[in-house]
Amino acid sequence: MGKDECKTMLDALNKVTACYRHLVIALGSTSDSQNLREELKKTRKKAQELAVANRTKLTALLKDKTTSKDDRAEYERLWVLFTSSMELLEVDMKRSLELGQDFPLKVPTRHFIQTGMTGSTTTVAARAMSVQNMKYDADSNIDTTDLKELQAEITQVGQMMEEMQMKVQVAPWAVEAKQEAGAELKSTLSIGNSSVGVISICEEEPKDEMDEGGDDNGMITCVAGFMFIVIVVIAGVLGYFVVGG
Amino acid sequence: MQEPKSGVKGADQKLNITTIPHIITGQDILAWIVTKMKVSTEEAQAFGTMLVAFGYIYPLQNHKKLVLVPDSTQYRFQTPYFWPAQKWPAEDTDYAIYLAKRNIRKKGMLEPYEQQHYNNFHKWMNYKWDFIVMQATEQYKASKERKKPDRVVLDCQERAYWIVQRPPRRTHSAMDTGLDRLIDPNAEEILTFDVVRRTNIFLTQALMRSAVKSSVSLTAFVKYVTTHHVHDPFLTSPVPSNPWITDSDDFWQLNSRNVEIPTKLSVDRWALSFWELISDPRGRADFKLFLKKEHSGENMAFYEAAEEMRWGAATAIPEKSQFIFNTFLKPGAPRWINIDGRTMGLTVKGLDCPHRYVLDAAQTHIFLLMKKDTFYRYLKSPVYKDMQKRALVPAPHNFTDVQLEANAKNRNPGVSPIIQWQQQETEKAAAAAAARPIDVKAMLATNKLDRK
Repeated sequence: MGKDECKTMLDALNKVTACYRHLVIALGSTSDSQNLREELKKTRKKAQELAVANRTKLTALLKDKTTSKDDRAEYERLWVLFTSSMELLEVDMKRSLELGQDFPLKVPTRHFIQTGMTGSTTTVAARAMSVQNMKYDADSNIDTTDLKELQAEITQVGQMMEEMQMKVQVAPWAVEAKQEAGAELKSTLSIGNSSVGVISICEEEPKDEMDEGGDDNGMITCVAGFMFIVIVVIAGVLGYFVVGG
Repeated sequence: MQEPKSGVKGADQKLNITTIPHIITGQDILAWIVTKMKVSTEEAQAFGTMLVAFGYIYPLQNHKKLVLVPDSTQYRFQTPYFWPAQKWPAEDTDYAIYLAKRNIRKKGMLEPYEQQHYNNFHKWMNYKWDFIVMQATEQYKASKERKKPDRVVLDCQERAYWIVQRPPRRTHSAMDTGLDRLIDPNAEEILTFDVVRRTNIFLTQALMRSAVKSSVSLTAFVKYVTTHHVHDPFLTSPVPSNPWITDSDDFWQLNSRNVEIPTKLSVDRWALSFWELISDPRGRADFKLFLKKEHSGENMAFYEAAEEMRWGAATAIPEKSQFIFNTFLKPGAPRWINIDGRTMGLTVKGLDCPHRYVLDAAQTHIFLLMKKDTFYRYLKSPVYKDMQKRALVPAPHNFTDVQLEANAKNRNPGVSPIIQWQQQETEKAAAAAAARPIDVKAMLATNKLDRK
């Protein structure tokens, strides 16, 4: 159905936007590198594809005058989601252009800010592109060539947004949200359980975090220990049979 | 600043399990600023605090206190994305997403000011709420993909950014957003022919203007300040106390329109110039009292009527001009004002097609008359001298902290403007009634003019 397709595509766009923001935050810091620039480029391209697909689908759905009132309300809600995602994307793209220009890669001494982040952003980009491992195959002057493309893409996105607003008459403030306050807590309860050790941020909050981390740790070690014992027992039984038989 | 040899020495932050590099201590930063910029320690301290307050460096322990403490407190550099920039103001949508993420991380236990903002956003940005929740969960999941130390740093960074941009109570942040303007002040202005032409015209006109010599204007300015500095609440603290600071409105009560006995300061101010006397409502009332004693109230009445016509509604102008003509300007009018023939002729001719400013010439003449003659007689009169003797000199307040808190709690809203307006209307009606020409026959009827 049109609605479900739209929803999945919007979820994908949302995911890519979040990951793109994550990558842009890393620009200019010590976790910046050639790879990061390439990841940014790939994520951006994916985001654009998704955006165009979403846009065509949603404009088609919204232009259809024969939809029922509930359907129309739902499409308007999806439209608001889409435009908000695009706004975030546009701002992030503009910022990445500026930051990319301020922190070039090809100079003899790189002046990256020592922010304390040393890891790589491969996993985030992999999540954005929905692949297992990222492949890096760009050439060495990606930062300069990419920036020119980025400028063109930013103008493209700007034009797309303007077109969208002209074509589709949706009043964003009339949309009612489905989630109530605190909805994000319910959706991430399952995630909390699977985290291995919640980290302690700064000296102020070590006690809370460590207790929860300890609980999680304890539970998982219990489960692991149990599994281990079960496997050992089975191995022992089988071995006994092999030896006995 | 980050050079391994000549920069600030970096160290490692050791948390319970993880080690995060790139920590700098306050005293190292201070020492580096002193040597690099060749300034004194106090200046370096101020500069360092500005760096922290703007958000280029953030403290790790006391994260709400945005100052540079010159000891072993730890700081870290902020990532360029979170540097303050006029081009990229911190949007409410982003703040809402951040609060939602924090909600997830803290499992619903936000700080009170954060909770307030959160509820506010849920109310006012409800149409975007789905998006905010989705984005927050996605960003949370994305951040989980990174290694532990990086996650810690990311959280610290974002939290520091939002403390700078949306400071909680009693945090001093240097952020100062101006108005939301439609034109971008940072955008380059394209020099077209029209822009240059208009700039040229403006500059030639400015050159043609006759300018007052600065020696003259500055002397006038100095004179104004020396005479008026006692009356300015910024330069001398008002007695009894500044209501904006101590929350006690005695000052306003003592200087209100219909107070019985004015303060000495006001009374002195009336003597400075006729304009000051007229502008103060209490002073104007006193002057009118003096004029009543002298039976020359028609000048002031005309002045007030002319002011009313000038500032009043356009629809009332014909009616008011008729009334003024009948009362003040007609030969044989009950309250005839004594202006010279030329002005009278001009005014009467102008009243044929009355507009807002027909009475300007007459009003100026009357004003100068009052200023040059009546005003000086007023200052020498027993009315004024009596007022000077009776005027109050209120004692300055000396509130303790407890009393200040009590004052703040017991602030009263003051007199309602509706009631004030009603009082003014009744006063005006009474004055109009008193000013009506005395009907001799009515007075005889009530036996007031009894000669016997």
